[in-house]
Amino acid sequence: MAVNSLIVGISDCKVTRDTESVLVTYALGSCIAVAMHDPVSRASGLLHYMLPESAIDSQKAERNPYMFADTGIPRLIDAIRAAGGDGARVIVQLAGGAQVLDSQGVFQIGKRNYLAARKILWKAGILIAGEAVGGEVSRTTRLEVSTGRLWVREAGGTERELVRKHAPACTFAV
Amino acid sequence: MPRELDAPELERSYRLDRDPEARETVRRVAAEVLETMFFTEAEEAPCDHIWLEIASCARIRFEGSHFGEMLLGISVEAADPIAASFLGIEAEELTDALRGQMVEELANILCGAMLSQLWPASTLALTSPELSPWMSWPAEGTLHCCFATPEGRLAISIRLTSGRGLPGAVSAGARPLTE
Amino acid sequence: MAYQVLIVDDSPVMRSFIRRVLRLSGFEVGECLEAANGEEALRQLSAHPVDVILTDINMPVMNGEELMRRLCADGILKKTPAVVISTDATNERIVRMIELGAQGYMSKPFSPEALREELERVLGERDAARA
Repeated sequence: MAVNSLIVGISDCKVTRDTESVLVTYALGSCIAVAMHDPVSRASGLLHYMLPESAIDSQKAERNPYMFADTGIPRLIDAIRAAGGDGARVIVQLAGGAQVLDSQGVFQIGKRNYLAARKILWKAGILIAGEAVGGEVSRTTRLEVSTGRLWVREAGGTERELVRKHAPACTFAV
Repeated sequence: MPRELDAPELERSYRLDRDPEARETVRRVAAEVLETMFFTEAEEAPCDHIWLEIASCARIRFEGSHFGEMLLGISVEAADPIAASFLGIEAEELTDALRGQMVEELANILCGAMLSQLWPASTLALTSPELSPWMSWPAEGTLHCCFATPEGRLAISIRLTSGRGLPGAVSAGARPLTE
Repeated sequence: MAYQVLIVDDSPVMRSFIRRVLRLSGFEVGECLEAANGEEALRQLSAHPVDVILTDINMPVMNGEELMRRLCADGILKKTPAVVISTDATNERIVRMIELGAQGYMSKPFSPEALREELERVLGERDAARA
């Protein structure tokens, strides 16, 4: 049983191979969590980003690239690779992207965040193995490093495992 | 959804541009196509047609139980990022040929998906899409929507014609879409 | 064992999209042949047998429906699984293509993941049938 909970905050990202660890992130409203796991090396990562594009505030993106999909996801991919993740084996899943009223009073950002993840992952040569996205409620998600299992709990609901639709298959673009 | 009409009845009474369900279908399909394969959003936006003069456009015809055609226009600033998203490449890697092929294929997907949802019980064949300058069809009978995407703008015009062959020229008294 | 695939679509960018999905899906793909219409597809097939055909419907010269009709009439080619990938999602067309032997039908638009799932299903059934 895992004993280390590694908390991933908002606009944050953590990567580890410690099979005693679980990567956890909370309060996924309109934000997206990108979970990556290599079932052989156990290299696992969890990114929690807030906004789709860094061009709206490049200074913020420089201070914290994990705030944005277009700066955060490539860094997660690089970190997984550096931790021994093999592009052909890594399983990628998404959670979040709910249509909630965020701090800027915008409803649409959840969908934009989700589309940004799909666009960036497609360009990076990655197909998504599973997702728990959309809707109108906030989510919490945790990634077990030892097994790669991703658990999602919606606000007011019970935790359920996000079942991957198929065997791992993606290739990081060179 | 718009009810099926036989050809004579179609000619006599049906106005695509006056059918609110048809407009809703166009809106919904455009959003679905752009989200699913091009990873971007499209929301209906007020029409402003100056940009169409230099837009990348494609025209596609259909025949079968319904005859007609569709025009798609993509603004200059939107064409490259949307094409690059679809192909999974950087915008800098795009060639004129790839951009043109993407505009044609987007027109193909939009037209086919719209017709399949407007008239699911029909038989339809689509011609190969062709790049074309934007055309201002007469407003009467033309269902026209403009969309805003994060990258720029899209415009779609779709109209039924009464039979095979090219539609007639704008007739005297008909109000064109653009001033 | 690597799959030999034939993609039939008059749009070069759609063929590119499908090819990319195949590559990223993890299938071991040997040769990925392409044709811009049904006639070219038949010429390819006469020289290279394939494990699966992915075909559009609306194409010039020979459309996908006529291609399926010709495949259906060929004692050997009729055994090759075919998946239709088309914008045409009208009821009659879907029924007709299934009757002509199509084992899968993807209506455009579709996500890369949806195409991957359909290919996994069709190739899985093919492999099971051959086992």
